[in-house]
Amino acid sequence: MNSSDRFDALIAAVEQADSAGALFQTTRTLATALASQDLAATGDSPPDQALACLVRILGFNNPGAAVAAVEGLMACGPAAVAPLLEGLDDHNYGARAWAVRALAGIGDVRGLDLLEGALANDVGPSVRRAAAIGLGTLQVDGLAPQERRAVQQRALVALESGAQDGEWVVRYAVATAMERITPRLQELEGGRHRAESILHRLADEGQEEAPVVWLRARLALSRLSCP
Amino acid sequence: MTGPRESDAPLTTAGEPITEAEAHRRLRSDDPSLQYYAAWWLGKMRSPHPDTVPLLLAALQLRQPREVGAGVERNAVARNAARALGKVGDGRVVPELLAALADEDDGLREAAARALGELRAEAAVSPLCERLASGLEGAGACRPDSPKLQEPCEALIEALGDIGVTREDVLATIAPFLQHERPLIRSAAARALLQLTGDHAFGEQLLSLLEHPQLQVRRAALMDLGAVGWRVALDPIRRTHAENSLKLIALRGLVERGSGDPSTEALLEAMDELL
Repeated sequence: MNSSDRFDALIAAVEQADSAGALFQTTRTLATALASQDLAATGDSPPDQALACLVRILGFNNPGAAVAAVEGLMACGPAAVAPLLEGLDDHNYGARAWAVRALAGIGDVRGLDLLEGALANDVGPSVRRAAAIGLGTLQVDGLAPQERRAVQQRALVALESGAQDGEWVVRYAVATAMERITPRLQELEGGRHRAESILHRLADEGQEEAPVVWLRARLALSRLSCP
Repeated sequence: MTGPRESDAPLTTAGEPITEAEAHRRLRSDDPSLQYYAAWWLGKMRSPHPDTVPLLLAALQLRQPREVGAGVERNAVARNAARALGKVGDGRVVPELLAALADEDDGLREAAARALGELRAEAAVSPLCERLASGLEGAGACRPDSPKLQEPCEALIEALGDIGVTREDVLATIAPFLQHERPLIRSAAARALLQLTGDHAFGEQLLSLLEHPQLQVRRAALMDLGAVGWRVALDPIRRTHAENSLKLIALRGLVERGSGDPSTEALLEAMDELL
């Protein structure tokens, strides 16, 4: 059986799943097959129809299957970005939330718009916290310097606003994201200073109410001062 | 997505921004839905204003029937006022909460017990024990007409653990509930006894509940481990099948309430993995 036939069979199994448990199992099988495919060695890209199938699963209101699908999509990296963006359904909140998590995990700059919007506006703290981490870990290495600075500027602005979020877990995620983004801000004038001042505020008992956020921000500052 | 609601705000007005003055105005009104939201809001904000406590104490006296269809619980304003009084943190309200602990409405008793626990009200220890003293056959027995128990045992037991008075009679009152047929009650008992005695055997019971086949039980065990801050639980918390949101809340409890090994840094790194 060649690779394409194999994926056709796995997709058919997902489509024929007739219970929540069966959907979870078949999704996990498909996601694992995609993740374990040695793409670099064969030069193949993951089959589009398999990626599109995982994206559709995000809208099925089955959290177990959605987690497995997100893991499979993240393992496929940048190849999964276009199917994720094309498959977005504005009317399905759950599906969007899972797509934000997948894009945050992949770290591709094509997801920037969605991550900014999610951190600023999503009603779910779990989505906002994932968006914050995604903004802290965008991969900018392949971009031209000017574009790189523009992406980092937008990510930093979004995280500065996210540091004021009403939920502790989102501010915690901003502290973690700040630690990750700061070493890569050298090209952005004043960038490192802005990132550190956010961390100082999150580390301050007078301005931040959650002790776990102070502790995370202080850990970030100490790691940044002696790398 | 399914999962617990991310906050206990009333769904109709969730997140609606109001001011402290507006919350006070609503509490003074006679519209229960405005009062309900205002009481919740003042608790969430831990409002320090001097008018807040007297207004909440007045609201604690309000009784309403359950609103069928609107999904509003019985005595909704009084219950929210009790919850808010626990969060505002003024110990002078303990006598009023003790009176609410004797109310005929078990939902109000539950809210009052949780508030007394939050206030660490030592005066509540004996009244809480009295409500539990009849044990599995009394307080812990199922009602014939509803899925509830005779007493809100989970809240009563958890309050005893949070208040933290380690007396022989308190331990003896809680211990039988380790054998309750409902895992959520067993979890509450193990949590309270771990808080009161530090005996790891009770922690082990919570860890075994993290492997329970029902998600609802695993969630309760996560919250209970977080409430105690028992750091030994780090790896079992990582491994259990539950939402990352709840694991993060539990690990926050380990960071803030616990000590010793694993280190704070190791716990924070585990939290980072779950974001």
